[in-house]
Amino acid sequence: MRFLIFLLPALLAAQQLSILPASVELTHREARHQLIAEAVRGGYQQDLTRQAEWSSSNEAVAKVDAKGIVTPAGDGEAVITAVSSGAKATARVKVSGYAAPFTWSFSGHVIPVLTKMGCNQGACHGALAGKNGFKLTLRGYDPEVDYDTLTRQAAGRRVSLADPAASLLLKKATFALPHGGGKRFSTSMLEYRVIQEWIANGAKAPQANDPVVTGLEVYPKSAILKPGDEQQLVVRARYSDGRVQDVTRWTKFSSSSEGVALVDDSGRVKVTGAGEAAITLWYSSRVLYARVTSPFENQVSAADYQHFQPRNYIDELALTKWKSLKLAPSKSASDAAFLRRAYLDAAGILPTAEEVEIFLNDTAPDKRAGAIERLLRRDEYADYWAYKWSDLLLVSSRKLRPNAMWAFYHWIRDSVKENKPWDKFSREIFTGSGSSRENGALNYFVLHKDTVALAENVTQAFLGQRLTCARCHNHPLEKWTQTQYYQFANLFSRVGQKNGDRAGETVIYAKAAGDINHPRLLRPLAPTPLDGKSMPLDAAADRRMHFAEWLTSPDNEYFARNIVNRVWGSIMGRGLVDPIDDVRATNPASNEELFDAVVKDFVRGGFDIKRLIRTIMNSATYQLSSEANATNQADNIFYSKYIVKRLPAEVILDAMSHVTGVPTAFSGYPAGTRAMQLPDVRVQSRFLSVFGRPERIICDAGERSQDPSISQALHVINGDTLNKKLSAADGYVALFQRLGLSDSRVLEHLMLSAYGRYPAEEERKQMLDALNKARVSGTTSEAAKEARRQAMEDMVWAMLTSKEFLFNH
Amino acid sequence: MFRLDADRAVEFCDGLRRRDFLHAGTLPLLGLGLQQMFGLKALGAVDQKKKETNCILLMLVGGPSQLDTWDMKPNAPIEIRGPYKPIKTNVSGIEISENFPRMAKHADKYALVRSVYHTAAAVHDTGHQMMQTGRLFQGGVEHPHFGCVLGKLKGPKGDVPPHVLLPRPIGNTGGNMPHGQNAGFLGKMYDPFVLNADPADPNFRVPDMLPPDYLSALRVDRRKNWRELVDKEVSKFETSQDARLLDSTFHQAYTLMSSQKAREAFELHREPEKIREKYGMNRFGQSCLLARRMIEAGVRFVTINMFETVFDEITWDIHGSKPFSPISCYKDLVGPMFDMAYSSLLEDLHDRGLLSETMVVGFGEFGRTPKVNPAGGRDHWPQCWTVLMGGGPLKGGQVVGSSDDIGGFPKDNPVTPAMIAATVYKGLGIDLETELPGAQGRPIPLVDRGNEPMHQLFVG
Repeated sequence: MRFLIFLLPALLAAQQLSILPASVELTHREARHQLIAEAVRGGYQQDLTRQAEWSSSNEAVAKVDAKGIVTPAGDGEAVITAVSSGAKATARVKVSGYAAPFTWSFSGHVIPVLTKMGCNQGACHGALAGKNGFKLTLRGYDPEVDYDTLTRQAAGRRVSLADPAASLLLKKATFALPHGGGKRFSTSMLEYRVIQEWIANGAKAPQANDPVVTGLEVYPKSAILKPGDEQQLVVRARYSDGRVQDVTRWTKFSSSSEGVALVDDSGRVKVTGAGEAAITLWYSSRVLYARVTSPFENQVSAADYQHFQPRNYIDELALTKWKSLKLAPSKSASDAAFLRRAYLDAAGILPTAEEVEIFLNDTAPDKRAGAIERLLRRDEYADYWAYKWSDLLLVSSRKLRPNAMWAFYHWIRDSVKENKPWDKFSREIFTGSGSSRENGALNYFVLHKDTVALAENVTQAFLGQRLTCARCHNHPLEKWTQTQYYQFANLFSRVGQKNGDRAGETVIYAKAAGDINHPRLLRPLAPTPLDGKSMPLDAAADRRMHFAEWLTSPDNEYFARNIVNRVWGSIMGRGLVDPIDDVRATNPASNEELFDAVVKDFVRGGFDIKRLIRTIMNSATYQLSSEANATNQADNIFYSKYIVKRLPAEVILDAMSHVTGVPTAFSGYPAGTRAMQLPDVRVQSRFLSVFGRPERIICDAGERSQDPSISQALHVINGDTLNKKLSAADGYVALFQRLGLSDSRVLEHLMLSAYGRYPAEEERKQMLDALNKARVSGTTSEAAKEARRQAMEDMVWAMLTSKEFLFNH
Repeated sequence: MFRLDADRAVEFCDGLRRRDFLHAGTLPLLGLGLQQMFGLKALGAVDQKKKETNCILLMLVGGPSQLDTWDMKPNAPIEIRGPYKPIKTNVSGIEISENFPRMAKHADKYALVRSVYHTAAAVHDTGHQMMQTGRLFQGGVEHPHFGCVLGKLKGPKGDVPPHVLLPRPIGNTGGNMPHGQNAGFLGKMYDPFVLNADPADPNFRVPDMLPPDYLSALRVDRRKNWRELVDKEVSKFETSQDARLLDSTFHQAYTLMSSQKAREAFELHREPEKIREKYGMNRFGQSCLLARRMIEAGVRFVTINMFETVFDEITWDIHGSKPFSPISCYKDLVGPMFDMAYSSLLEDLHDRGLLSETMVVGFGEFGRTPKVNPAGGRDHWPQCWTVLMGGGPLKGGQVVGSSDDIGGFPKDNPVTPAMIAATVYKGLGIDLETELPGAQGRPIPLVDRGNEPMHQLFVG
């Protein structure tokens, strides 16, 4: 009996074999289907397709070869079996239409072949100008045009009905004739046969009622593998006539992260490292992805997760991901680390020495939540997030007159202050008309006067999508088509602008007419938000209203995902989707389930930004230490430790003012204005420029740089900004000396102010030693005082240029 | 208080010199560099026997039209050949556009590669990536710029950074911020030193190069030491690339400051006025002059971005209507600007005996449409364009590869960006078999297999 108990796990493990997909329909004699024999062992997937023994229960219905490819033999049903290491799995096959006449279709087969063989890629005949006088639509996005090109142009030589094999299309592609593109396929390949038979059958044109692809499926949808493993993917297309076919052979594959997994043309994945990769699939202008998870090589047990106390759904979902990757979360951050971090992430400021001391000595069990709450109510919170949205909406004096810029900025800041929900905020921009001075939001249109520029900025800022490629052809990476581009752009072709009565005032109104034409069709298309419903071309209603309704609908995933990702990334150090503003279908989140949940919660909560920030910051995940443990040294993606990040330029400058007690003077602004309160990025400041302040010219998160550079180092070593703050006669260093405070007390205060913590004993001793050695003896008391002050300045300089100061950790 | 004086060493009362203080602090840095060098020599990546070759890369942002510059087709129909006529150069059989008379006198110093093409999207960014790294940015992999690779493999020469970018990075050319300008997966440690100032500015100086008057050398040094004292090796920063980079930038800053030679290299005002005028008193001309000084000071690779955007500025991007440039600007502004600077640079390097060890490479991100468009300009055309390659071991005075009758497609010797990369690396003396450490330690070859350097360009 005991013997059997030992065997049981082995038996269970061995029996975890399945065939994917489990059920297959072959609806004509040319149909083929790749099957995969997938085992699950010890939590990992294993592709045993090539090792398994394949057999069919009825070879008169369906045959299967050693590679797991099923071919039809006659109408009926059969069972395919795969056997490997004693485990067995089955799949059902149904064959129909075997005897019926079958012809390859242009849209359904010829175009996919041309696409997979690369004929219509951007490098070749899919280029804007085609190649050698032969132009196809990029990746076959317009079969009707391609059909015309192939059958009517070039004196009909491309496709020869009388002698199919003599068709230029085939002779060139097989290199029977010289071909700049080389030999794309041989005469013995299926691809040749598809085209040749299509021609021989009369080269029938695409029909309006041809079945179209309505969606894709991929098997396995996700797999947990090890570096070195290989996994075959199978892709199926669902058609509007109900059929489901294996299109693996003609799918285009790519990996989102080659450091984790590579994929070849046949859909075979090879794992190269640890982490997660999305294998994106493209077929017939449809996209999908399969997820490959490659856990880190760690030994983890339940004990490694015990210290982590989930506080909300964020923690639960993060925990699930860590477990699947064999990452253990770091311990919780200390109170001191937490407080400084929270102040910086919520409001872009440092806590004062007093605030730190009070917090560290507070014994209330919920003091962290209390601190977060107080931060969210501060004016600086409003300044900080108004600045972020000003980055997003490109507020600057470059194109806006000063009072217009101020109107725009104030509207943004007031909205943050009153915690205006994000949908209401966005609607105010798109449904507003009238004076840009009365309604600062309307300055958004003044910045983007051109229809195309406006459409593209809207998608980038409010939807996190980059639509530009689709201006000229179907987007090669995304599902957006050129048609959709021009339907979308036409929503913005009637935004009228005229000068108002006062300087800097523009009046925005909806024009009664105006359209943007599709460049090839030479006519306007019905205005349609990306995945939404069209409105009639001749409708008199303000098109922006139609757009605004779609944009802010709770069902609009792009809208919610875009803003959630930006807020999340700002606080957590990396968006769930990276880059932070590239939230497209083929760039999945590092934790899709978590992202989904946060987005749903955000929408349910009424698009409340403050609530979102509160939820994130109160999670245990946010409050993890940034110190690695034995398992997560290499993780800077999955939040198993807090991601250390250099502070933005404005925050650093303000923080330096805070510690030294010397504000920065900004030309044209009242004394005491903090960098984070500036509405304009063109305010002169070498410090801000060199530390990466964005120019707010294009809506791209990459405009702001947070990388250290030699120029920055030179500026803090030799430039005036920091040096003058340190030596100012009315700064804290001078003040503390005048007050006669001891070096020890001064150091403690400064540490609390700059680092948010008390000095450690050893550290305090070393710094005091250094300061003592700098004392000058045997001189006048004036000289001695001067030397002491300079020494303290130098010590403060050292603190303010250290990593601990310049980073959020 | 002691004043710092770049011309004289300043002595303190105890006889020590200012520079000694700063040098003592930079020894660890030099030691680190040497260690790296030993390791890399063992890998065989650096060929000790070959003389070291440097490189100046001129990024002709906007994409010069091959038909209006260096691949003239005077016999093509008027709607193709455009408004300019060819002129002879000092090499028999080679003709270029009338807009470059000075360049025409130095045709022996550069080769024209007229058959360059790429097959990626016809936007600026792809060209910038491919022409500066040899590859397209995809799969999340940021490939490094040639200059950054060189910096990683050979390290700095003396106290100057190995790779300098003048004057600023390329910014908005449509769409996203351009890739291919920095060290990518090699790590930000190897990013170029960016000048971020306009050398044509009358008050041009590299900002913050020296401490202010009110800060003595003693204090500068004390601050440096105390920073190291205060900035503990906290383990939380170990896995942050940015944190490690911060320390490296301080080290490099101190190195630059302490080297008079390095600082003086940036001091353009030391050049005689007539030399400055010869290059042209504009941002590009002065950048070329500055690049020569950089090379003289030991910089290995200088990248010059002739322009930083194509919007609302006159550049090579001659679509013919706003916010882009008109075709006439090749005659009025951009042509002469390039002509003066490029020919002066070649001449200057040659006269100083530097040309034989300094490659000078110039290219845009694509060519332009053979057919003039309705606005009188030309649009993007990556199917065929001309690249200028000379200096170092590259043999000038020849045409490598040619285009068809209308300059639309390569006719023979088609050249891809990867082949240009291979040529640049070979010219720099780097073994093409070298593998770079990619993300997660994955080895990435310098250039993809099958991409040969252009052998015709190498003497002997």
